[in-house]
Amino acid sequence: MATVREKGYYHWDGRLVERRLPWLPITRTGIMLAFKKRGFRFLFAGAFLPGVVLLAFVYMSENLESFQAMIRSSDRLISVTPGSFKVFFTAPLFLWILMLVFAGSGLVADDLKHNSLQIYFSRPLRKKDYLLGKMAVVFFFILAVTLVPALLVFSFKLIFAGSFKFFLAYPWLLLSIIGFSAFLAVFFAFYTLLLSCLSKNSRYVMVLVFMIYIFSDVLFGILQSIFRTHYMALFSIRANIDQVGALVFAQKPVHPIPVLWSCLVLGGVCALSALVLNRKIRGVEVIR
Amino acid sequence: MSIEVKNLSFRYGKITALNDVTLKLGAGAVGLLGPNGAGKSTLLRILLGFLVPEKGEGTVLGYDIRREQDNIRRSVGYMPEDDCFIAGMDAVTFTAYFGELSGMPREEAMKRAHEVLFYVGLEEARYRLLDTYSAGMKQRLKMAQALVHDPKLLFLDEPTSNLDPQGRDEVLELIADVASHKDIQVLLSSHILADIETLCASVVILNKGKVAAEGRLEDLRVTDLSLYELKIKGDGGAFLKDLEAMKCRVEETEDRLIKVYMPADRNRMEIFRAAARTGVQIRYFVMSRTSLEDLFAQVVGVD
Repeated sequence: MATVREKGYYHWDGRLVERRLPWLPITRTGIMLAFKKRGFRFLFAGAFLPGVVLLAFVYMSENLESFQAMIRSSDRLISVTPGSFKVFFTAPLFLWILMLVFAGSGLVADDLKHNSLQIYFSRPLRKKDYLLGKMAVVFFFILAVTLVPALLVFSFKLIFAGSFKFFLAYPWLLLSIIGFSAFLAVFFAFYTLLLSCLSKNSRYVMVLVFMIYIFSDVLFGILQSIFRTHYMALFSIRANIDQVGALVFAQKPVHPIPVLWSCLVLGGVCALSALVLNRKIRGVEVIR
Repeated sequence: MSIEVKNLSFRYGKITALNDVTLKLGAGAVGLLGPNGAGKSTLLRILLGFLVPEKGEGTVLGYDIRREQDNIRRSVGYMPEDDCFIAGMDAVTFTAYFGELSGMPREEAMKRAHEVLFYVGLEEARYRLLDTYSAGMKQRLKMAQALVHDPKLLFLDEPTSNLDPQGRDEVLELIADVASHKDIQVLLSSHILADIETLCASVVILNKGKVAAEGRLEDLRVTDLSLYELKIKGDGGAFLKDLEAMKCRVEETEDRLIKVYMPADRNRMEIFRAAARTGVQIRYFVMSRTSLEDLFAQVVGVD
């Protein structure tokens, strides 16, 4: 080990500032650490695949003549409507969960494991700053693979069409895209952080994030086959998000149950997460 | 005064953790001592602004502990007892990150991180992943993150725990350097009395939530006890009983050295008179200094 004080200590002559966004370094670091994880870049790139597919559909829908040879049956198959956006947002949920397994599992779990909460809170940082910083990591990844491609697709649709006809036909669609992306980002942030704060082992959290999503869907399938009622969809994270997506994009819900119930279930998960996070993330518990 | 608290009280439910604690800590290194449950951690928590006291008031570096917690945290460096790091990071990124969270501009934090890592002796390992650091290196890293924003006051919680003798010496040397030459005041909480004795000029001993002793070590040592070390020939039983009757505390070590803690108002000649009375020869007699251990045992009431 090197000798102590080889270079000597100097006082820093700068001035500490009060940040407007004290959580921003936490977010930046969280994103940087996610990209350092093995295999994550591949997953992140893969999460853009649904956006690329939707973009291809948009291109094809605007250039039908060029694709007549390929598409003989019906041009309705490749017509882009709000329903296409709903499918874009709800069909690849599995892919995005997989991305969060890598990017979000360790957000709180690693800090609990390595006792770093105490040095976070010995800084001029509040609990809400810490949580916001961690949540913003999930926001970043979810919005990057949902909002950004959806807005690009929407813009390309207008560019390829060469008119505002699509925009005028669905003037609310842009708001729906932004709103549903925000909804997904908020829900997944609460969902991931809730599970991340339950264990100090991020691998265990990875399994939890993935398995709870899958298990809720399997449970829904089993219960529905037993009780023969669509209300069992309320047990499934995927089905509930699908229901909300149908409402936001003005589509017919897959399950004939009030969407409000699905909103309540997902809202309940967020509320539970806020409650647990508030109890688990404490600066005082870590100084003995 | 760097830390000033008045009538500070705090309870965890029905348990009183701090009871009317009044303290004034000045410059230099101050040791914080006390048995488990004495209130050391609670005091640190309150000083860092993690807990709001039930009663009383106080300031750290002039900032109110109730209202100006952010300013306190900006001016204080904290080195916790436990290993703490962020997996997947190197030391430069880690140190700069916490500098930035303290309010340093990003580039400045990065530059400063290099400086403090050089200072604590981690220059060669600064780009290595923290997961691969040894216990001693992690200890130095904690010191680096505590120093990165150039605090005016350092809270060190058990800084030498889990270190081998060489690592302990190096960390002690570092703390001594910071405390004596760098205009940084140090509050050192440790259960290793020798560390406090080596580093601190002043000490605060807490017991059962109250201040049991406070002041300069030199002054506390001479307050109300004189320590004499002696060796005797003959049956010491009656002699020792005689000494105890004179309100002296007597301890016998394994090598038959007798330590006599005599109330300061008594004359040491009384020891010789007791020896004469009980037919014991005193073969060795030295006036010694009471150690911090003695002081601790005296004020906390344990042997």
